[in-house]
Amino acid sequence: MDGVGHHLAFWSLAVITVGAALGILVSRNLIHAMVMLILSFIGVAGLYLLLSAEFIAVVQILVYVGAISVLMLFAILLTPRAARDNAETAMRYPGLILMGLVIAATVFVALETDWGAVREEPVAESARIIGQSLINEFVLPFEIAAVLLTAALVGAVALARRDDEDIDAHEQSLTLEGREDSGGSS
Amino acid sequence: MTIGLEHFLVLGALLFGVGLYVALAKRNAIGVLMGVELMLNAVNLTLVAFGRFVESEVALSTSVFVVFIIAVAAAEIAVGLALAMVVYRNRDTINVDRVNLLKW
Repeated sequence: MDGVGHHLAFWSLAVITVGAALGILVSRNLIHAMVMLILSFIGVAGLYLLLSAEFIAVVQILVYVGAISVLMLFAILLTPRAARDNAETAMRYPGLILMGLVIAATVFVALETDWGAVREEPVAESARIIGQSLINEFVLPFEIAAVLLTAALVGAVALARRDDEDIDAHEQSLTLEGREDSGGSS
Repeated sequence: MTIGLEHFLVLGALLFGVGLYVALAKRNAIGVLMGVELMLNAVNLTLVAFGRFVESEVALSTSVFVVFIIAVAAAEIAVGLALAMVVYRNRDTINVDRVNLLKW
């Protein structure tokens, strides 16, 4: 990868991705942080395309940008009385120190290690190879992942649904509030 | 200078570090989950870069691994957000420093 286009694509996508990640860190509003996270996901999808992993890039857009972001936005909007200032806990300075140490150590290892044979050309037809591996040598993990997803979704629904009594009490309080509002305004 | 494996590894390290800080230091539970997602993305990026640049016996087994990580991340985020909703319903807050029932 030494063309001008590769350089341009890599550096612009890198700036978008890391800049959006830093935006999550500094933004003072949780919704803005979420938008920054979506931008970061899109940047990572572009980097996958640059690495000739089209299938992973599409899955990234579908699952992260499409599903997970919407789920998290729903969760933010469904917790209206919780604080949305995106502030830090007392772990702020220990967290900063740990972040610096982890980045320094990982960058040092990445630059100092000899990673062996470098493939010049990307593997062609990556989606076909991934699909064939999923039903040949990785079929057992594939089934386990299916069971895990089912269990997680059933568990999420079981956790998030209210009990029937809760719903009744909630509806009652809503109708009471409505009556008080209409009584006050008339 | 060509864009090589090291570029992507350093980028992954930066993303992972920022995600680690967000997961450790943010007060809102959903903010913490954002940090976790960022870390998973950094790891996926590193794996795909290894699959592109390093010769291996099974071609693209890293990409298969990335598919599994994405599936597990989706499951994790569903359960995590459901837990956040339950905590919010019971305590009217999802600030992780105020959910300290188990603190001795």
